[in-house]
Order: sequence, then structure tokens, then C-alpha cells
Amino acid sequence: MPLTVAIIGNPNTGKSTLFNALTGLQARVGNFPGVTVEKKIGRIKGTAEPIDLVDLPGTYSLSPRSLDEMVSVNVLLGRQTDIGKVDAVVCILDASNLERNFYLACQVLDLGLPTVIVLNMFDVATSRGAKIDIPALSKKLGVQVVATSAHRKEGLEALKAAIAAAVPNGPGPRPHPFPEVFYAECHQLASKLAELGRSDAPSFLVERALLDVGGYLETEWLAGSDIAERWKAALVESRARLKEAGCRVPAVEAKARYAWAKQTLSDVATAPAVRAATFSDRVDRVLTHRFAGLLIFAVLMVVVFQAIFSWAKPLMDLCGAGQSAVSNVVASLIPPGTLRSLLTDGVVAGVGGVLVFLPQIGMLFFFIALLEDCGYLARAAFLMDKVMSKFGLNGKSFVPLMTSHACAIPGIMATRVIEDRNARLATILVAPLMSCSARLPVYTLFISLFVSDEPLLGLRGARQGLTLFAMYALGIVAAALVAAVLRKTIFHGETPPFVMELPAYKWPSPWIVVSRVWDRMMAFVTRAGTLIFAAAIVVWAGSFFPGDHSQEFEKQRFVEQTQATQADPLKHRAMLEESLGKLNERMAAHPPTTESERAEWQQKLSITEGGLADLNVELKPLDDARVEVNLLRASLVEQSFLGRLGHLIEPIVKPLGWDWKIGVGTLLSFPARELVVTNLGIIYGLGQDVDESNQQLWSAIREAKWPDGRPVYGVPVALSIMVFFSLCAQCAATLMTIRRETNSWRWPLVTFSYMTLLAYFAALVTYQVASRL
Amino acid sequence: MENIVPMELMAAGEVGHVVQVDGSPEVVHRLAEMGLREQVRVMMVQPGRPCIVAVGDHRLSLRMDDEAEIFVALTVIP
Ligand SMILES: Nc1nc2c(ncn2[C@@H]2O[C@H](COP(=O)(O)OP(=O)(O)OP(=O)(O)O)[C@@H](O)[C@H]2O)c(=O)[nH]1
Ligand SMILES: [Mg+2]
Repeated sequence: MPLTVAIIGNPNTGKSTLFNALTGLQARVGNFPGVTVEKKIGRIKGTAEPIDLVDLPGTYSLSPRSLDEMVSVNVLLGRQTDIGKVDAVVCILDASNLERNFYLACQVLDLGLPTVIVLNMFDVATSRGAKIDIPALSKKLGVQVVATSAHRKEGLEALKAAIAAAVPNGPGPRPHPFPEVFYAECHQLASKLAELGRSDAPSFLVERALLDVGGYLETEWLAGSDIAERWKAALVESRARLKEAGCRVPAVEAKARYAWAKQTLSDVATAPAVRAATFSDRVDRVLTHRFAGLLIFAVLMVVVFQAIFSWAKPLMDLCGAGQSAVSNVVASLIPPGTLRSLLTDGVVAGVGGVLVFLPQIGMLFFFIALLEDCGYLARAAFLMDKVMSKFGLNGKSFVPLMTSHACAIPGIMATRVIEDRNARLATILVAPLMSCSARLPVYTLFISLFVSDEPLLGLRGARQGLTLFAMYALGIVAAALVAAVLRKTIFHGETPPFVMELPAYKWPSPWIVVSRVWDRMMAFVTRAGTLIFAAAIVVWAGSFFPGDHSQEFEKQRFVEQTQATQADPLKHRAMLEESLGKLNERMAAHPPTTESERAEWQQKLSITEGGLADLNVELKPLDDARVEVNLLRASLVEQSFLGRLGHLIEPIVKPLGWDWKIGVGTLLSFPARELVVTNLGIIYGLGQDVDESNQQLWSAIREAKWPDGRPVYGVPVALSIMVFFSLCAQCAATLMTIRRETNSWRWPLVTFSYMTLLAYFAALVTYQVASRL
Repeated sequence: MENIVPMELMAAGEVGHVVQVDGSPEVVHRLAEMGLREQVRVMMVQPGRPCIVAVGDHRLSLRMDDEAEIFVALTVIP
């Protein structure tokens, strides 16, 4: 049996960084409190005995206020069935703020488990001039004390040795910080418990029960058994007696433990001199200023978005070219038929169409990781509190909402840091409105097609960046309004007070940024290889069957054979077409002035046109066959299963300006929204001109026509699609997460219904207004 | 003579130490756990609602509810 060692400590003290360094795993690290919200287990590398390390969410104390803290405390108190008993605790403290961190250390030592005290961020403490006598501290506490700088992997060997020795060494002495009356009272409670038949309760449990007014040990621990009421009454009596004795619960805990901390640290550590306003404070004065700060935030976002467009563009073009190349290679290897169609029209068009957006996903996460790791994100949370408190949420809701811009799933998990239940539920319900990275492909596709990349104020791609910003803003505004309504109706409640620790500014660590970008890009690729791959095949089958494709394939074979035998005339025709175009252009630019000049032009023109006419006659069978193939393909898609489904739902989506293809593409992207790119790619690909050298969705969208010849897409349609996708709940995984985090099917159902309705009506209004402008 | 003010009234850059934290026992306890308690030195970094205060070397952003109040004895900086 491996030993189980739990890591506990205040938020943002580097627990996950240490966990990663010791286990070689990749727990998420970030420079704001509340990154880790769920336990994570890993085996320490290179120890003689196997040791399992458990990374836990940060907590300020063992009296949990929020769900993430509850996770930690449950593990420590052995209430977690899937982990079992914890054999030892590694208590991680921020060396640059020892006194405050010692509060938790004191509680942890009181548990009576073998403990290792880690002074992490030792580099920061030293650079600020803190002096800590580690051997003396260790002697005073009676447990091992190790200094580390986790992000530089310093002190790890000593820590490993200490962890290995902790269990054999046994627990250290308990701090005993409280006045004697308190312990006397605990003693009495313990005998009371024994009287009630529970003599097994360890003394720390009794102490915690007495200290946590209304806590788990008071309300739930014995709930259901007949002694619950008497236990509660006994606690209330004890607290009343303590109050008489001048030892008020819970205030006594802070007083006693801080006094202990002060006394313990008195002659072994000199705290860094408290400096007046630091550089970071001066920066904060600007960045968190109520006007300047918000303005900087907005400008920063626009710059990030325009960068996503202008920097990622060349990479995307490259990916797109790669996709066409693969598709051409497949076409040259496999004769026309069902298999080729499955591969080119299904897999390459479907999966490749989504993969093209990989560079932008990478860019988005690059910026998020950068802003997060330098400490800016927490400032943004502060700025947003002012705005959000008007809508019944607080700054604590900001981090989950901000995280949801990457993906709503970790965002919803991150709501565990919100103490207030109703505020947490409201945040969960609006989190999927944030524009997650799966919406980025949809936005990018339509913005790059319909918004010009002309420079604005000298910044290339600024218009596109602004449009993207507007889409994100739409999600945020919708979330604020929905939250306000929710807080006024079903999740009634005061705006909860907001207390959050702001991390120090620091240089972003390249390794953290790179690994975060890499992680998310791999997740995206994996998704494309699994979920999207499977969906692509289903959608392809739906738009390929039941039609009879034999005629199409026959014609297609004929076209390809003729193209091969008539390669020369084809090339010649292309050349002539080009020079004719050039001639006409030149004539338009410099109209002939003299009679002889005109005659000369005329002659050149007629030679070219004559040549073309001859070639057209020669190539007529080929041209006719192509037209036939295209007509066949288009009509086969119309008659396919999806085509029929599309025509069925067309009346519903028509008011949004959509044709049946957009409608069915959207309907089939409810499991995961980025599927729409896949679906449209396949539906258009199957119905598209076969000799369209550019197999891409982009050109198909530009050329899509209604039966009467009007183009399907234009700015109003593009806007209505983007608005729909920005607000709609098209993600099965998110809904499952909501169900898991709320423990009920009710909230995923509510989320799904309100978002879908909201999306439909918002898209309707957008189209109807935009098409009349 | 000490000049005691509610924390909301501190201006940016003003320093003092906390003399009293009022409010529901839970809020007061939580603030103490996070390091904001009687006798600690605080500096106002960004006044307003919410505000940012420096407690020792750490920065807390906080917005209290209506019942809670923190009183600070200002240090007169010569
Ligand atoms: N200067 C310095 N920075 C560190 C050290 N250890 C970790 N960090 C940084 O501190 C930040 C927080 O690290 P995490 O490992 O996410 O902290 P955590 O304790 O797991 O945080 P929560 O999960 O939110 O409780 C990251 O930006 C790390 O790079 C250290 O020893 N010195
Ligand atoms: Mg962590």
C-alpha cells in the first residue's frame, strides 16, 4: 500500500507547482487564488517507498466556506472515501508572508498527523529581506521544515527526504494555542460524546466541532442518528459557557492562533520590512482605477483580438492549403466513388475544416496564459466586481466567467470558490454564455469573410478585432442581464461581500505559458480526432445517403479521364482566358485614341476570342459533363436525409436569414458547437463544384446561392449566425458538467432552454434589423 | 491623539493599523483567517467599493456588506 500524503496550504502559494515538480504530472498552475478546485493524485518520482501525493485546492483555514475548500478539508479529515486515510500532510506556506500562513499551519498541526512544513516562495522572501532560521523553527515546532522555490525546482530533494521520513517520525507536538478553559470544555464534550456512544472521536474533531459554528461537524456529522440533537445542544451550551469565560467562539480561534504564530516566529524569523507603496502598488493604482483601468482592459482585449486575426492569418492559410493538398492527394489515389467521397467530402472537409483553426486557439490561450500568469487576471476580477455587483454577482464570479472564455467546463468547476450558494448557481447558469474557444472558429470564419481587414487607425485587422470584441462583449452583456434576472427571481439574495487575495505581479514564466498553450492545443486536436471525426462520418452519411450516386460517379470518371487526355487544350484555354482578361483590362485603362491603335487592339482581341471559341467547341463535352455532375451533386444533397431534414426545418430558420444548409448544420452542432464548421464543410463539399480547386468552406460560403440566384450570405446573415452561436447552449459536455456540479438535471435543462430561446430571438432581431439597414 | 476612521475613508497611500473589525462573526472570522484582523498594519492602495488594501506584503481586494465595517487608526506620516 502506498502512503498517501496530502498537500495543503493557502491559495496561490505554489502547491500545484510543487506537486508537478515532485510527480512529473501537469496539474494546472496559475497566478491567482483558486486555480485548483479538485483534488489530484500522483506518485512521487524517485522515492524508495511508493508515496501518493494529493494536490488540493488552497484554503485559508480548516473551517471551509466554499466547495473547493470543503474538498481539501474533507480529504484531511478522512471524509473522502476514494482517497482513504491520509498518512501525512505537507503544509505549504508562503515564506514571504509567514505570520498569516501560520494560522493554517497551526490548525494543520492540531490535526495530530505527521506533518512537513514547507516554506515555499523562499526566493521571494529572501529577496525582500526576510531572515528565517530554519533549524530553529524546526526545533520549535517539532516537525521538519524545508525551504523551497518550487518554480525553480529548488529544495525538492530535501523535501522528498522529509516526506519519506515524516511517517516514521510520527506526528509532532500539538501547538496548544487555546486557553485552558477551552481545552477543559473540549474534554467535557468528549466525555459527553462517549456517553452518547461515540468514544472514537479524536480530540481534534471535538475541537473543530466546537470552533466551527454551524459547520459540518455540528450539523451533518451525526445527522440522522438519534444523538444529533443532543450533540448540537451540547455544543451550544459549551460555547455559551466559553463566552462567559471571556473566550468567544469563533473569535477566540483567530486570536489564539495568531498569538501562537507570533510567539513561534518571534525569535526565529524576521519578517521583511514593510515597505511603503511598492512599484506594484503604483501599477495597481492605474490598472485598477475605475476609469483608466476599465479603459486599459478594453483596449487590451481589442489588441489581443486583432492580434489573433492578423498573426494567426498566415498560419491558417497554410493549414487551409495543407487541407486542400491532402484532399487532392486522396482524390488522385482513389477513383470516384463512395470511399473517396467519405474521405474527401467527409473526413478531410469535416475534420480538416476544424483543424484549420488550431493556430487561433493557440493564440487565444497564449494571451490568456500570459495575462493570467503575470497576475493581471486577478486585477480584472477586481475591476469587474464593481460592475458585477450591480448584477447581483461579485468579483469571485469573474474568475469562473473569465475561465469560461477558454472553456465553460473548467469555468463551471471554478465556481466552487464562490461561497454563496445562490450566487454560485447564478454564475453556473450564465457561464456558458461566455464566448468559449469553440466559438472562435465560427467567429473567425464569418468575420474574415465579411469584415474588411483594411487598417483602422493604422492597425491592420483592427476592424475584425473590434467585431470579435463585440461578439465577446455580447456574451458578457447577456450574462450580466441574465444574472440580474436570476438574482431577482429564482436565486434571490444579497450581493455577497467580496474578499479576494490579489497575487503579486511577476514576469510570466515561459514554461507555464507554453505548457498551457500546448495542453489546450492538444485537447483541441484530440477532440478533432475523436468527437469531430465521428460526427463528420455521421454527417457525411446523412448527406450522402440515400441517393443513387452511380450516375454522378460515372460522369465524374468521365470528367477526370477527359481532363487527363485534354490537359493541353485545357491549359491553353486557361492561358487564353487570362490574356483576354488582361487585354480588356488594359483597354479599359488606356482607351485607344487613334484609328490605327483601335484596329490593332481589335485584331488582338479577335484572335484571342477566336482561339477561345475553337477550344470551347473542342472542350464542350467536358464542360457539359461538369455542369451535369454539379447539378447531380447539388440535387443528391437536397434529397439526402439531411437535405430532407433541412427542408423540414427551413421555415423555422428562414426568419434568421438562413437556408436549409445553415439550419441543418446548426441543428447538428448542438452536441458541440464547433461542429457547425464540420457540418457546413461537408454539406457544401458534397454539393459543391467538383472542379473547384479550392475545396474550402470559405469559397463555398462566398458562392452559396438561394434557388433564385441571390447569394445566401451577406453581413446580416453572418451576424445572425454569429449572434446565434454566441448565445446558444451547444455543448453537451458543459450541460453534463452543470449536472455534476449542481447534482440535479434541473439546472442543465434550464440552461439549455433559456440559452437556446435567447439565441434564437437575438439572431432573429439581428437579422431583421441588419437586413433593413 | 489617534485618528480613527472607517476604512472606506482612507485615501490612496494612507497607512494605519486596524483597531476594530465589526460585522457578523463569520465575516470577521474569515477576514482574520485571510490576515485582516485587529492590530495589523494596512495601507490603502485603491480606495472605493471594492477597495484594495495592502495587509503586510499581501494585497486584498474587498467589498464589505452593509453591516460590516473596519476601523483603522491612521498613522501620521511626517
Ligand atoms: N517566485 C516564486 N513563484 C512561485 C513559486 N512556486 C510557485 N510560484 C508561482 O506561484 C503561482 C501559483 O502557483 P500554483 O502552483 O498554481 O499555486 P497553488 O497553491 O496551487 O494555487 P491554488 O491552486 O489556487 O491554491 C504560479 O504563478 C507559480 O509560477 C516559488 O517558489 N517562487
Ligand atoms: Mg493549485
